[in-house]
Order: sequence, then C-alpha cells, then structure tokens
Amino acid sequence: MLQLIKVSKAFPQPDGQLTPILAGIDFQLNAGQSAALLGASGSGKSTLLHLIAGLDTPDSGEIVVRDQSIMTLSEAKLAELRRHTISLVFQQFYLISTLKVVDNIRFQAQLSQRYDPAWEKQLVDRLGLGDQLQKYPHQLSGGQQQRVAIARALLHKPALVLADEPTGNLDEHSSEQVMALLSELVKQAGSALLMVTHSRQMASYLDQAYWLKAGSLHSEVIDT
Amino acid sequence: MKGLGLSLKALLSHYWCYPWQALFLIAGLCAGVALWSAVQIINGHARASYEQGNQVLGAQAYYWIRAKDETGVSTADYAQLRRQGFREVYPVVQGVLLSAKQQAIPIIATDPIALPVQAIQTNTSATEFNGLAFMQAPYQAWFPPSLARELGVQVNERLLLKDGQTMPPALLQTQTQQGRQVLLDIAPALSLLKRDKLSYLAVTQLSEPEKTRLQQSLPAHLSLVENRQSVDLSQLTQSLHTQLSAMSLLSFAVGLFIVFNAVRFSLWYRRPTLRTLRLMGVSVSTLSLAIAVETLVWSLVGSGLGLALGYLLSQSLLPTVSSSLQSLYGANLGSDIIFQTRTLLWAWLLTLGGLILALALPLWQQLRLPVLPSNTLSTHWRSDQRTRKRLLIAASVLALLAIFIYPLIHQLIQGFILLGMVLLAAAWALPALLASSLKLLEYLLPPDSFKARWLIRDGWAQLPALRTAMMALLLALTANLGVEMLVGSFRTALSTWLEQRIAADFYVQGSSQFKLQTLLDDPNTADWLAAVNERTQISLRWQEHPLLLRGVNPSAPDSQTISFTQALPDALKTWQAADSQQQWVLANEQLHYLAGVKLGDSLALETPQGPVAFQVIGFVHDYGNPYYQLFLPNSLLKRYWPHAEPWNTSLWLKDQRFAAQAEQALLKAGAKAGDWVEQKTIKSLSLSIFDRTFAMTAAMNSLTLWVASIALLAALMAILQERLPEFAQWRALGVNRLEQWLVMSTPLFIWAGITWLAALPLGALLSWILIHKLNVMAFGWSMPLLWSMTPAWHLALLTLGVILFTLVLVAWQLRRKLPQALAQLGAQA
Ligand SMILES: Nc1ncnc2c1ncn2[C@@H]1O[C@H](COP(=O)(O)OP(=O)(O)OP(=O)(O)O)[C@@H](O)[C@H]1O
Ligand SMILES: [Mg+2]
Repeated sequence: MLQLIKVSKAFPQPDGQLTPILAGIDFQLNAGQSAALLGASGSGKSTLLHLIAGLDTPDSGEIVVRDQSIMTLSEAKLAELRRHTISLVFQQFYLISTLKVVDNIRFQAQLSQRYDPAWEKQLVDRLGLGDQLQKYPHQLSGGQQQRVAIARALLHKPALVLADEPTGNLDEHSSEQVMALLSELVKQAGSALLMVTHSRQMASYLDQAYWLKAGSLHSEVIDT
Repeated sequence: MKGLGLSLKALLSHYWCYPWQALFLIAGLCAGVALWSAVQIINGHARASYEQGNQVLGAQAYYWIRAKDETGVSTADYAQLRRQGFREVYPVVQGVLLSAKQQAIPIIATDPIALPVQAIQTNTSATEFNGLAFMQAPYQAWFPPSLARELGVQVNERLLLKDGQTMPPALLQTQTQQGRQVLLDIAPALSLLKRDKLSYLAVTQLSEPEKTRLQQSLPAHLSLVENRQSVDLSQLTQSLHTQLSAMSLLSFAVGLFIVFNAVRFSLWYRRPTLRTLRLMGVSVSTLSLAIAVETLVWSLVGSGLGLALGYLLSQSLLPTVSSSLQSLYGANLGSDIIFQTRTLLWAWLLTLGGLILALALPLWQQLRLPVLPSNTLSTHWRSDQRTRKRLLIAASVLALLAIFIYPLIHQLIQGFILLGMVLLAAAWALPALLASSLKLLEYLLPPDSFKARWLIRDGWAQLPALRTAMMALLLALTANLGVEMLVGSFRTALSTWLEQRIAADFYVQGSSQFKLQTLLDDPNTADWLAAVNERTQISLRWQEHPLLLRGVNPSAPDSQTISFTQALPDALKTWQAADSQQQWVLANEQLHYLAGVKLGDSLALETPQGPVAFQVIGFVHDYGNPYYQLFLPNSLLKRYWPHAEPWNTSLWLKDQRFAAQAEQALLKAGAKAGDWVEQKTIKSLSLSIFDRTFAMTAAMNSLTLWVASIALLAALMAILQERLPEFAQWRALGVNRLEQWLVMSTPLFIWAGITWLAALPLGALLSWILIHKLNVMAFGWSMPLLWSMTPAWHLALLTLGVILFTLVLVAWQLRRKLPQALAQLGAQA
C-alpha cells in the first residue's frame, strides 16, 4: 500500500548549512493497517507526512503508493492522487470558511465522485454533527471542526489517511473522543492510517507505532 | 469538470460571506470602464454625427458647386444650370440664426422640388417632404425634436429671433439627413439670414462624362469641388477626440489598478481556501480554470455595468462636448446618442483585455506558491522586497526609454504613449520610495523605543496592501495637477492674448448694414472716435485645408501692438508697409506647428488672377482657432481679392463715457441693435467657451480622483479584514484604541504625504509635456507654462478628506466587528 525506501530530506538553515532531518527512512504500511508516528518536536514527523502526500519532494529515496512511485508524478497526477487515494487531516483543520459544514463534509467526496449518502449519514451520526450541518465552520468549537475535517477525509473512503496531530488543538477529553472515532471510522472505511501524534495514549489506539529520532524510524511497542 | 464546479463554488462562496469585497470589485470595474466607454460612445457619436452631416440632404451629395471666392452661388447661376438640364444639382443654404434668447439655431434649407429622387429616398419622415405647406408662406420650420427640446420650442410656435424677425411655425419633424439643424425652404431661409445667395449647390453622384460636361458648363467664378465637409471635420476635431480618449484611457488605467488591487486582495483572502482545495486534490490547472471563469464572469458583469453607466455618463457629458465642438469647430452633434455597435464592441473588447491582464497577474503570482507556503511574515516581506526591486528596475528602464524616444515624437498618439510611459514609470517607482520612507523612519526614531519599532514593523506589514492603492493615487494626483496646470496656463495665456487682440471698445459685425463712411462723414464723430479698424476676410483652401485670409488696417492701434511668437527682423514695420516688392503676411502659429511652415517660407495662394506667392514674416498666437489664418493689410487683400467680404469693424472711443453717444451714432450709420458687441462681452464669451471646453476635462479629472479614492478605501478595508484577528489580539494584550490608531494610520498619512509630494514634480512634468508637446501637436497653440501651488493644495485637502473618510469608515467597521473577533480569540485559544 505505502512503501518508503531510503527517503532522505535536509533543510538549509539560516546560516546556509544543510541539516539532515530524515536520513534514509524505510517504512511500509499495508492496506487497512494503522500506524502511529511519534517523536520529539522538530524531529521531522510533519516533514515525512508532507513527503508522502507529495506536498514536498525528498532529496533522495523512493516513495511508493499503491505500487506507483510518486516521485515522477506531475503536479496534475499528484492532485489526482490526493483527490482519490490520500486524505489529509491536519491540526489546523483547513476547512473552507465560506462554505457551510455540510458542503465542507461532502467536498472531497464530490470531487472524487464517490459520494455515498448512507455512509455520510453514518459518519455524521457517529461524529455527532447532525445539528451542525447548516452552520459555518467559525460557528463550531475546535473539536467539532476537527470532526468535520475527519468526516470530509473519510466520506470518499480513501486508501490512505494521513493525519498530523489531529487532536493537537483539542483538550484531553475531546482528543480521546476524536481519536476513538477516527480509528473506528478508518477501520469501517477500510483505509490505512498514518498518524502523527505526541501522545502514547493516542498511539495505543492504532495497530503499530514508530518513533522518529535523529532521522531514522524505530519500531515501538505500546502497552496499554 | 466536477472539480471545476466545486472549486468555483468554494471560491465564489467567499463573496457571499464578504459582499463588500464584491462591491468594491464591481465599483472599481465600473468606474474605470464607465469613463472610458463614455468617451468612446461620445467619440463614436461625434464621428457618426459628422458622417450624418455629410448626408444632410442626401448621401449622394458627392460634389459641391461653390464660388471660387467663397461668396456664395447666386440663384441666377443655379437657374442657369437647371435650364441646361443638370437635374443632379440642388441648392443648399446653411447658416446660424440667433434667437431673441441668444441661442444659436443652425438652419439648413433646400428646394424640395429640385431635390433629386435619390436624395429623398432615405427620407423616413411621415409627412410628405415636398408638401405645399413647406414651400408656401407662412412656410414650415422642421425642428428635430431633440433640438426643439433644447431650445424650448413648442409645436406651431414662431420663434422670435434677435433681429426681430420670426421663424416659420415650428413642426417637430425630422428628415433623417437634416442632423441637428432646422430644415426650411430656401426662400424663408434666405430672408431670415438676410442673404441673397445660396451657400452652395449640392450635386449627386455623376458619371465621368456628366462630370466633365458640368465642369465645362460652370461659369468661371464657380468650381466643382468634392464634398469634403466630413473629412474636414474629422481632421479638425481629431485632436480633441484623441485628447478625450487619452484622458479616459488614463482613468481606465487607474481603474485597472483598482481591479488589480481588488483581485490581489480577493485571492489573498482566499489563500486558505486555495490551499485546502489543493490539499484535497484539485490541480493547479483546474484552479486556474476556475479563477479564469470567475474572472470572465466579473469582466462580463463589470464591463456590462460599466458600459451602461458609461452610456448614462456620456449623455450627461454630451452637451458640454457638443458645445465645445460647436464653438471650436462649428461641428453640430445630434443630442440623441447614435450608438455604433462597432464602437461599443471595441470599447468592450479593450475593457475585457485590460481586465484579464489585471486579473491574470495576481492569479499567476498566487498559484506559483507551494501548496503549503511557509506562511511566516518574514518570507512575505522578502518576496515583497523582491517585487519592489523588480518594479523599480522596470520603472528605470521605462524612464530611460521615455527619455530616449522623447526627441522622436511627432504624432499626438506617440505623445500620449510617452505620457503613459512616464506615468507608469512613476507609479512603479513609488513602492521603493514608500519603503525608503520607512527605512528613514527606522533611522530617525529612537532605536530603543518599543513603540517606534512596533510602528515601523507594522508599516512594513501594511506596505504590500497599500502599495497599489498608493500607485493609483499617484496617477490620479499627477493627472489632476498636470491638467490643472495646463488649463491654468492656457487660461492666463488666453486672457492676455484676448486683452491684446480685442483691444477696441466696439465691434460691429461684417454682416451689418452699417456703413463706416457714413459714420466718418458725420461731423460729430470726431468728438468721440479715437481710432477705427475695418477688417475684411476671404476663405480659401490651401493644401486641402481651409485657410482664412484676414485683411486689417495696419495703422490701427491693435495692429501696432501685435506680439509675435517668432518673427523676422523689423517684421511689424515691413508688414505694415505692404507696398514692398514681396507680399508679406503674418501667419497664425497653427501654420507653423501643424503645417510646418517656417519664417520666410512662401505660400502659393489661389487668387482670381491665378496663384500668387505670399511670404510669412512672423507668427502670432491664435488660440481657439482650428483653421489656418493669415493676416495682411487690407490694401494687399483688396489688390488680389477685390470681392473680399467685410469681417468686422472695431472702434476705439476717446473715453468710456462716450459709449452711449457712440451707440447712437452706430444706429444712425445703419447698424441695428445687436449688430455690435462690446469688448467685455466678447472677452467673457471667449472665456466662457474656453471654460466649457475644459469643463469636460475637469469632470473627467475629478472622476479619476474618485476612482483612486475607491482604490484607497478598498485597500484599507482589505487590510482591516485581513488583520481583524490581529487587532483583536492587540486589544487582548492591552493595547488601547489610541495606540492602535496611531500604529494603523501613521504609515498611511506618511505615504499619502509622500505620494502627494511625488505628484508635484510629476504633475509639473506632465503639464510640461502636455503644453510643449501635446497641445502644440494637437491644436498648434503654444503658451508658457505657469506653475501655481493652489491646485496642489486643493488636491492635498481632497486627499486628506478621502483618507479621513475611509478611516472613519474603517473605525466604524472595527467597532462593529472587533467584539466578535475578540470572542473568537477566546474560542480558539
Ligand atoms: N521549510 C523549511 N525550511 C527549513 N527548515 C525547515 C523547514 N520545514 C521544517 N524545517 C525544519 O525541519 C525540522 C522538522 O520539522 P517538522 O515540522 O517536520 O517537525 P515535527 O516533527 O513535525 O515537529 P512538531 O512536533 O513540533 O510539529 C525542524 O527542525 C524545522 O525547523
Ligand atoms: Mg509537526
């Protein structure tokens, strides 16, 4: 499903020197599986996620999504990939502020033409958004906004969901709620999930966990 | 396709939530397009009017038969031609009557029976044109309804004229080709105009043999000329129309700045939406397409509304334009706008082109950014710095280019291109100037003051948003200043010139029955008359242009004080002597600037005895005259053109208290009341014609300033919108209202001040180019440039007013929206 082979990335510092952030990462995620990505702040978790989503390009190595290397894809093909295969959930929600909640939820599904009303009803009910559909995003609380973003990411049942600290903006209680929902709904959608998080607690909801440190990945065992 | 629709929905939902942004966009589009299209409509209408003028009494008037000496064609000559079987020839009388209320009434007359069938085929009027009532006392006067409205004439009213005569009963009735003139039968027209000759004979299309036969049958004093009226008019008025176009183009350019600004802002606000769309897999090309569609929709809506507004505007500007065309060139424009699809289409296409340019540029900038741009202010500043540098380089290149092409300019249109380059270069250089003002401030303010640092940092953050608005302001200020200077200089030059040219106390019209000899024979005359100048005239054609020859008395007081713009040594004395071997004449400077005649050049003029050469000894100012004109002593004029007609007679009084006595004496010498005018009347009349001519320019100028004001308002509102959360944070941090306003508005005032200062030298440069290059090329009038600070102060006040107004508006918005922003601050913390 997702395979990373010797992926490296370095960023130039203000003094002009290159600092390696990712140094030859090997990683694999099978269809329907979920994995947590842990690591200290600044260790390169977001960078890795961006590379997988094709938002940035690695300095070297290979990223394969569904047996296809994304390194050689054109901008248009990458857009296609994000439209149908990869969904993103960010800490900052990234909702379209001028569209109503219902339009936000349906957006990507309509874009990829995989809109399923029954699945929508299920998602909305599970995420408790039934009363919020006609509101604008700024009329919602942070947790509600994130649930909208999750609904949007899952409605078209993408093969892969990439989440970057989806609960980073939320308090402990709603974090847990959102996490539980996310892992449950991802399973229902049959998608694979790679999620960046700071919390082992969150990581415990997922099948596997990895620790990013000094540019390389280490497998972690999380006991709940 | 799905992506396109969804993207459009997401993008356009922005305007649903922020309708005022849509409003500004539309306002900018409309304002720019309206003025531009108004002038296009007027110009198109004018051209159509000239063409229609050509069709007066038949599009088939291919030729005219005119007297070689321009004294008119006698009815006997006309009758003779008809007897010889030339049925293609029909008589025309044209002239202008003066109503008792001093309104000018253009009339045209013909003989409906003689009118060839082809000539009346285009007649669409319901009433039979050759009905008996038209040709029999009390006759009929056919008023075009629009002209009747203008003059306040009712059906069947007999309009009273200034000389006491009345016109035939009015009929609100038009024949398509009569234009903005009252149609009469020949007989009443001649008696109203107190003439005994026809203006000319019109001739419909002729075959080559017929033409030869007609030419051979003409008596020696008549000639067959091609009908060139519309060509002449188009040539003469072209400068004015070009001038108008250029002015409107300027406001269009300012309008484009607004559109550019508005689009930049609207895309800037929609950055998050654009980013989200791309994150969800909408490709850049789909987004470009979506924004292109949006652009197209805006352009269509904006240009459509703008055209409609332009139409209304053109109707309100038309009276001013037609009155200046009438007084300058004697051109009649109809008062009902003639729409020309071609003109409209062109105006619209150009509008669309400009808009797309203004819309595409920011779009391209926006889409080149990475999907997840590092959204820090520092990168934003850096890219803004790069933009400023690029603009400055472009400005320098353009300025150098302008300097380089300056000497190569010979045509009006090239002159306007030069003007555009100078203005654009100035506008592009402005952001760098504004930025350096912040650097200077940074240097001047105490480095350890936190508030000073904050103020300057905030200035840097505002600069990208206010940049374009300031450029638009600069353009508007410069244009206003430049044109104000032009008009002011012109007005001064004109009144000084009138002072000298119209020095006598009374002017008796040449058409009067007044006999100078009778006056001079009266023994009492010597008591009050100081001097007299009896003038004569004849009009000819020279190099395909009308040329007026004016005979004056070289020993009259106003002939002693003639001031030259250029002259050979001892010019005045030599010219006055008139009896030397050479035929010396004075020429108006139009001949120098427009026809390229130089001092000492000789002009071959057609006299009844054949061509004679006259030499130019000096050039004089002749403001307001579109024609070439030569001045020569009466004796010289009489020698070659014995039939020269009287022009006017000017009388100098020994003292002003003899005025009443002089008027009595004029009446005794055959003049009727209204045949003479006093000096002050002529002067004020001339100045009012001048003012009317420039009223249009003034109107366009103030509109341009309004357009720029909208830009400023839009920019400030945009900043407010963008920074509202930030302002809320300030408040949350304990910044008080005064501090906030100080930080927000200080850079604005500083930059407006700098922009105004920059507009001063630029305005001077603009007026210099207008006066010394464009005006000379357009009209052939030269004048000294007079600098005055008054208009500059006016503009400063106006700008200040606009800024204060926008700040009040922004303050009101802030008051309304800040509580909500503060509340959200809490919600999202
Ligand atoms: N565009 C960039 N230019 C230079 N350095 C960058 C850039 N983006 C990220 N970095 C650097 O790369 C490193 C990794 O950043 P990244 O955002 O991936 O960290 P992270 O693991 O997601 O941290 P956090 O948990 O705080 O979100 C950081 O040290 C950061 O400073
Ligand atoms: Mg991160």
